[in-house]
Amino acid sequence: MPKHVAFIMDGNRRYAQKTHKVRQEGHTQGFEKLAETLRWCLNLGIHEVTVYAFSIENFKRSKEEVDGLMELARQKFSRLLTEQCFLNVCFAYTSRHEIANAVKEMAWGVEQGLINPSDVSEALLSECLYSSSSPDPDLLIRTSGEVRLSDFLLWQTSYSCLVFQSVLWPEYSFWNLCEAVLQYQLSHRSLQKARELHQEEQKLQQLESDSTCLSEILQRGGNGKPMEAQSRQNALLHYTSSREQRVQRFLNALQHKRDSFFDRLSSQTNDGEKAAKGKEEPTRRSARLSAKAAKGKKASNPAENGDAKADQAQKVDAAADSK
Amino acid sequence: MVFLYELVWRFLHALLYLQRALLSWFRVHVWRLKQSAVGLILPLAIGFHNRRKPGPTGKRSSRRVRWGADGRTPEKLPVHVGLLVTEEEIHYTEIASLVVWCMAVGISYVSVYDNQGVFKRNNSRLMEEIHKQQQELAGTDSSKYSVECSKNGTDKQDHQVFSCEPVVKVLSPDDGRHSIVRAAQQLCRAIELKEKTVKDINISLLDSLLRESKNIPDPDLVLKFGTVQSTLGFLPWHIRLTEIISMPSHRDVSYEDLLGALQRYAACEQRLGK
Repeated sequence: MPKHVAFIMDGNRRYAQKTHKVRQEGHTQGFEKLAETLRWCLNLGIHEVTVYAFSIENFKRSKEEVDGLMELARQKFSRLLTEQCFLNVCFAYTSRHEIANAVKEMAWGVEQGLINPSDVSEALLSECLYSSSSPDPDLLIRTSGEVRLSDFLLWQTSYSCLVFQSVLWPEYSFWNLCEAVLQYQLSHRSLQKARELHQEEQKLQQLESDSTCLSEILQRGGNGKPMEAQSRQNALLHYTSSREQRVQRFLNALQHKRDSFFDRLSSQTNDGEKAAKGKEEPTRRSARLSAKAAKGKKASNPAENGDAKADQAQKVDAAADSK
Repeated sequence: MVFLYELVWRFLHALLYLQRALLSWFRVHVWRLKQSAVGLILPLAIGFHNRRKPGPTGKRSSRRVRWGADGRTPEKLPVHVGLLVTEEEIHYTEIASLVVWCMAVGISYVSVYDNQGVFKRNNSRLMEEIHKQQQELAGTDSSKYSVECSKNGTDKQDHQVFSCEPVVKVLSPDDGRHSIVRAAQQLCRAIELKEKTVKDINISLLDSLLRESKNIPDPDLVLKFGTVQSTLGFLPWHIRLTEIISMPSHRDVSYEDLLGALQRYAACEQRLGK
């Protein structure tokens, strides 16, 4: 059974057209379907879901439609927080922005003197994505019959099972989900093999990279005499360990930067709500971005990004105690 | 209860395996019949010649390529097609055929990919096979004929026709995520040397670096061969808007199959977020 499923919820507008309703009604049905699908996922044992709610490209739509979607998000997502799973909502998102941002974060790390350019690797880039605290999706489902990724999780779905289904999102059924899961199960072994092969190649590349860096260091600081094999081996282990420590320090600094960002965002938008609800001070919205599943923490309302700035990709996690 | 649940899943699996086996047998036998028919009709005089200056619209002096049957030419052709082979066993002849057919149809760029880097390691073997097939299809006098590639996305009545030399690229996972990592390292080195600032880094800068190394336009279409439902690391950055069409196998694939996929591609409507 897949542990993490991603959905491109496509077909709301075509559904509205088909059933002779207004567009907004199509989107509303779409959100209802999302709530329903989350419950099905839970029943099947799928505890993490990522959805493509709104792309940066969708800002091209009419103001009326964009405002309608924002309002819908505002109303509906808070309801979904009561479900016992991880829900990642990609809002004002594109994958290329996410990847470029991850590169930017690593560049920031280099600028701050926390890491070296040679420390940049696939693994590190993955840690700098918004989805760093989630495993890569096992299964990606796109409805409405389109067979493209549309700038969604391009990095993370390289080895995921892609299932394209022709059903329109608001008409999605439990059987459609089962069909997708079946396809995942049939591809599972091949995908596992491909993933393992890739991981092996990565390990080799990292080893090679560490070895090259070590050679450079020895050349610079050495006395010209070649090193003994054992000494070199020790030096390599030492270099690898220091690189890992450097990278960890950088990731901690990055986490701190992100937490501060969300805390600022929380305090800006939640002041009124805090008073109205009378709850204890909400902890960070992105409870997931820090250490794994903090038990007992409930995320507050998702951050709404009404600001159409292209490089503000929001990823909001709603984590609830599963026990 | 759990036992029953598992039994249901296993039963569904068995059904699906059976369905796949039947479908694949059916496909092979029906397509084989069609292939032998198409083989007679397929224009043998398809050749390639060197760049020439873009001609005026309307009448052209050289002979145009015609398809087998009228009205089957897709109106919208992809500029760059990726052939993604997920199968373990690779048949170079068949892949070479696909490449040559794509080029004959007017596709400017064809990429060939497998996630184990087999094509890359056997690059020369593939190229040899492609040349062989080109010779076979071109016949003895290839200079008489030309392949025309129309510029992507232009109006039917008013298009300029350029003659271009099709490009074949052989790719592997190294050209995917790892290529993005290399670009990131390059940018980080520039940051270290204070040649660039963090603020300079954005999508277009990263995109230009990724394009610089391979200089190919984004794939419009990926034809995926095999039953594995994944891109298996194929150019993640470049496939953001790529249509992904699955085909059961690259073995026994026919020109008809390719045309069918191209027609399906032509029918896709990209709204680009709107």
